[in-house]
Parts: sequence; C-alpha cells; structure tokens
Amino acid sequence: MVHALEEIHRLLKPAGTLIEIHPSVHAPPFVEVWSNGRLSFAERDPVFDYEDDLRQADAAVATVLDRGVFVLDDRRGFELRTHAASVKELRDHWALVGAYDPEEPEEALMRGRDEMYGRARAALEAGSSRAEVIYVEPATMSRLTSSPLVSSRG
Amino acid sequence: MAIRTDPEGNETAALFDLVDLDGTEVLEIGCGDGRLTWRYANRAAHVTAIEPFEDSIARAKERLREMKLPVEFRHVNFEDFAAGAETDIFDVALLSWSLC
Repeated sequence: MVHALEEIHRLLKPAGTLIEIHPSVHAPPFVEVWSNGRLSFAERDPVFDYEDDLRQADAAVATVLDRGVFVLDDRRGFELRTHAASVKELRDHWALVGAYDPEEPEEALMRGRDEMYGRARAALEAGSSRAEVIYVEPATMSRLTSSPLVSSRG
Repeated sequence: MAIRTDPEGNETAALFDLVDLDGTEVLEIGCGDGRLTWRYANRAAHVTAIEPFEDSIARAKERLREMKLPVEFRHVNFEDFAAGAETDIFDVALLSWSLC
C-alpha cells in the first residue's frame, strides 16, 4: 500500500492532489429500513471482518505522511447510502459488484447476516409499499497534497 | 425501483468540498462500475479511470456510454498502469475505496 501511494506521488504533478476514500475503521456498515419517512429498522452488518485491512490502509497513509511524501490538508466523514426496494434487490446488487462477500466467510457470521436481513425483510413487509432498505457505509475522505520536496520521482 | 447509490449526494458533496476539479487531469484508481466517475467527470478536462476487474469496467463503460464525458476507461491494475506511465502527469488522483 505504501508503495502504491509513492507511485501515485510520482504520477502526480508537483503539489498535485490525492483524494483517498475508504470505509471507516471506526464505524461498521449497517442496514436501515425506512417507511413513510420513519426509521423502522437499524442493525449493523455482522460481517464486518475487514477491520485489519482498513487499519493497514490507515497505517499506509500515516506512513507516507510521516515520510513527507504527502501532506494531509483535510479529512471528513460521510455516509454512502445504497437504496433498494427489497432485501433481494440489495443483496443481488452486492453480489453483482462483488462487495461485502468475504473471501473466507465464517459460517456463523454469514448466518448472522442472513438473520439480520431476515429481520430487515420483515420490517420492510410491515411498512408501506414505498418502504426502502438502505445499506449505510460510513466512510472517510482525505485530501492530501503531493510534496514537491520528496525525491522519489522518476 | 432500481438500486440507487448515494442519491443524497453525500460522497460528491464531500469530494467537491475538498477539491476543485475544474479543468483538471484526473486519474481514478479503482473506478469499479463508474459509480462515482459519472458524477464528477464533467468538471474535469480528462479522466483516466482504471479498474482491474473486467466485469466492472464493462459496466462502467455501459453506464457512461450515452454521456458525453471526457473519460477513458482502462482495464488494468494500478501496478501495471503505473509501470507504463510517465511522471508528473495528473493534477488529481482519486483512490476510490481501493486502498484496502
């Protein structure tokens, strides 16, 4: 990861900008159901097993900042919200884009996720015809400026 | 109802708050299915959007097919792309959910 960030530094013009976006290590993703403007269900996705990857990403950014390759200008959190009309539609979407399916799924976690989605489905069915299920991913976006003083170029 | 990703515009609001993309040369690393690309590309002079997964880049091309946006999609991983790229060519690099 550090090498990739150093390569990005090389490709950027001096004082160029790196925008780095990744899921928050501090806030796991969760699922909500909304009906008629009211929140009727909210539970975290039990399959949040990539904390180590996220910590490594944070560590890689910290390393290039320490080395002076980039300077951190600004950072903020936001929620990426994916809306669907049904649990099936949402899960089909994640399967299509290849997200949130662990490489080595633990049976208990996957069962926990199925149960969580079962409860979300029940909340949807109890709601109005326009009820929505929403997958919420807390994320962090950082702006880093490429330092012209570092001699890793070329 | 089709899937809607970030209809609130939270991600683009944060992006536009952090960087002025007007007239810039942008490299988007890990563009996926173009979920974010189409939302900002009209501000840039040119976007090079790379993605290692063939299915994803095919969906990205399909998504942006009707839009007249200055985007060049490339099916390549970052390591190979960087190995063949010159130095000092982009104003902005967007590392989109790809560092982990």
